[in-house]
Amino acid sequence: MLGFLVHKDGDDVGVAVVDLKKGETARGRTLESNTEYEIDVQQDIPLGHKIALRDIEQGEKVKEYGEIIGVATKKIMKGEHVHVHNIRSLRWG
Amino acid sequence: MERQILAYRRENGKVGVRNYILLITVDDISNAVVEAVEKAVAGTLAIPHPYGRLQFGKDLELLFKTLIGTGSNPNVAAAIVVGIEPKWATIVAEGIAKTKKPVEAFWVEGSGQIKTIEKVTRVAVKLVEDATNLRREPVDISELMISLKCGESDTTSGLGANKVVGRFTERFLSIGGTVLFGETTELTGAEHIVASRFKDQKEREKFLKFFEEYQQLVKSQGVDLLGSQPTEGNIAGGLSTIEEKALGNIQKIGNAMIDGALDYAEPPKGKGLYFMNTSSAAAEAVTLFAAAGAVIHLFPTGQGNPIGNPIVPVVKITANPKTAVNMSEHIDVDVSAVLRGEMDLDQAADVLWKRVIETANGRMVKAEILNHKEFVLTKLYPSA
Repeated sequence: MLGFLVHKDGDDVGVAVVDLKKGETARGRTLESNTEYEIDVQQDIPLGHKIALRDIEQGEKVKEYGEIIGVATKKIMKGEHVHVHNIRSLRWG
Repeated sequence: MERQILAYRRENGKVGVRNYILLITVDDISNAVVEAVEKAVAGTLAIPHPYGRLQFGKDLELLFKTLIGTGSNPNVAAAIVVGIEPKWATIVAEGIAKTKKPVEAFWVEGSGQIKTIEKVTRVAVKLVEDATNLRREPVDISELMISLKCGESDTTSGLGANKVVGRFTERFLSIGGTVLFGETTELTGAEHIVASRFKDQKEREKFLKFFEEYQQLVKSQGVDLLGSQPTEGNIAGGLSTIEEKALGNIQKIGNAMIDGALDYAEPPKGKGLYFMNTSSAAAEAVTLFAAAGAVIHLFPTGQGNPIGNPIVPVVKITANPKTAVNMSEHIDVDVSAVLRGEMDLDQAADVLWKRVIETANGRMVKAEILNHKEFVLTKLYPSA
């Protein structure tokens, strides 16, 4: 079963398409290409929320849709939940 | 791809998919008249609102433009305009009369509310009789103007529903249709992509000016929109930043190129894809699109949004499997199969295309069935 989808190759995050549970191995793929991923889920991630596809350092820019969606406010490990607690906008706030 | 619909060809050649006899008020204090007539005469539709007194300058121009545009919309068969004073009611009625559709103006001053209700009621009876005698005729779907705006978005919007609408938009434009999109504020972080899609440099600059004006307004108020953008519902749905929201938002136009930039409620000069300067508040934006002539609105949603419009069917599309079940009474097109990998974007666009054809032919959408008639005027600054 598909666990998450990724907009573009090279994105740092994927989007959970089901509720992901800590400890499971989630399968994902890039939309409109065949790149496949297998990631060990580090935290519960609800449907629609983002999962880190790689380790991201604090201060690093985060990519989705092949574009920058914000900056990491703390170190994010591969498989962790990526949301307002660990990324913020570069435009507002 | 099915293209023929049965729709109303209006006196000015434009095509509508509904057949309303609209009771328009120029001002808040005339609402009671149109509300009384709506109750008395079946087949009429009143659109009361809270403004229209002591507005001036650009704000007054926008009031007139929105009221005239709404009355001129091809989904409207005939209109009655009611105000307290003759001057403004006449301006609105004369604006609508340019479409050659039946329109009459009334004012409360001089005869009082009860007599005005009687006069309006008698005319409304006649207009309903005439309008219900009009017949739908075969028309190519590309003659329709369709608008786009999403709401209560989450990441499934950018991943599914908006992308399906984007695919629909590419197809609809390829056969010569006209599409409006807007949401000036919610393009923040994706404005460079929108700007790069303009075919014409002058139109691109117009867009960037609208965008910059809004950014300046936000800065001048010394506020931080974080908290209101993304909204609480957006954040609950997984959206983290305005950039992410904007990138998801623009999936609605697919890979299409943009023909022009319009100001509030301004009708496009030709066919194609147009950006309109609008608020990102759903009812406000849809009201402005309708005033520019849009006759069907496509509304992708993630967490679910009940919004409708008095004269334009608002088609709700979701890719969120939970919303499709939990808010089913608001959802017209469920494309959650895209998220499960069971349906590709083209197949989902086929499903949406079919529903748009059905909606054009008269099938009611959920927002119409649930009586959602949000008519919300955009106010630029305080009244005098």
